[in-house]
Amino acid sequence: MVTAIDSYNNLAQQVFSDPKRWPVDGKFKATKLEEAIKSVVCDVTGNPEEPLLEVGSASVCRT
Amino acid sequence: MNANIPVLFRTYPSRETHLGCKVWEAARATSAAPTFFKRLEIGNKQPFIDGGLGCNNPSKLVLAEAKVVFPTRQIGCLVSIGTGQAEIISINKPGFLQQIFQTDVMKALKAISTDCEATHEDMLLLFANSPNTYFRLNVEQGMQGIELFEWEKLANVGAHTVQYLRRNEMNEKLSLIANALKFPRAQLMMEQLGMEILFL
Repeated sequence: MVTAIDSYNNLAQQVFSDPKRWPVDGKFKATKLEEAIKSVVCDVTGNPEEPLLEVGSASVCRT
Repeated sequence: MNANIPVLFRTYPSRETHLGCKVWEAARATSAAPTFFKRLEIGNKQPFIDGGLGCNNPSKLVLAEAKVVFPTRQIGCLVSIGTGQAEIISINKPGFLQQIFQTDVMKALKAISTDCEATHEDMLLLFANSPNTYFRLNVEQGMQGIELFEWEKLANVGAHTVQYLRRNEMNEKLSLIANALKFPRAQLMMEQLGMEILFL
C-alpha cells in the first residue's frame, strides 16, 4: 500500500509538473504519462511491455 | 467514443473478446481524462477515454462481472471506495483551444452527471436484506479545493482521509468491514442478483 501511494506520488509529480505550452488535445503530455506508467510496470514485472492478461490465473479469487 | 458503454480491462480470461493489450496501455487508457490527456487507441484504433466520464462508480459493473465469472458462488462482501464528494471529482474546465477543437468531448463533459451517489443508493436497495455486506467509504469533507493534477496536495488528501476515518461512527463501520472481509458470510447468491436491478 505504501509503495502504491509512493508510486502514485512520483508519477503525478512527473506528469503534472510539466504542463504543455500549447495545450491542444489535453493540458498535459501523454508521452510523459506513458513513460511514467511503463516505469512502474517495469519495476513490478521487470517488463515495461508486460501483457495485461495473466496466464494460468483462471477463476482465481484475488482476495 | 461512447462513454456509455464501458470496456473492462481484464487480467483474466473470460468469454468476452480479450483486447490483448499491455498493462501500460490499460493504465494509460483508464487515465485518459478528457482535457488532461489525449485519448489512446488500442488494437483496431478503438479510442479510449477515462471511465470518470460515464462510469464513476463501477459497483454495478463489478456485480455483473462477478455474476458471469463466479455464477455459482455467493457474495460475502462488497466495499466501494469513493474519491470524495460528487462535485469534487468533476473534471477541470477545458481551456479555450479545447473548447474549439473538441466539441464532442465538451458535449460529453456536459452530460456527466456524477452517478456515484445514485449508484450507491441502488446498492443500498439491492443489499437491503443482507446486513453488513455492502459498505461505501467516501471522504465527504475537505477535498473540494483539490484538483486532479495537484500532486503537491497529496498530504492534504491524506489529512482529510485521516480526519474522516477518525469520526466516531467510523470505528464501528471499519470493524464491520474488517470482519466481513476476514470472515465472509455467504449472504447473497449470484443468481439472486437480477440484471434488471444492476441496470436500474
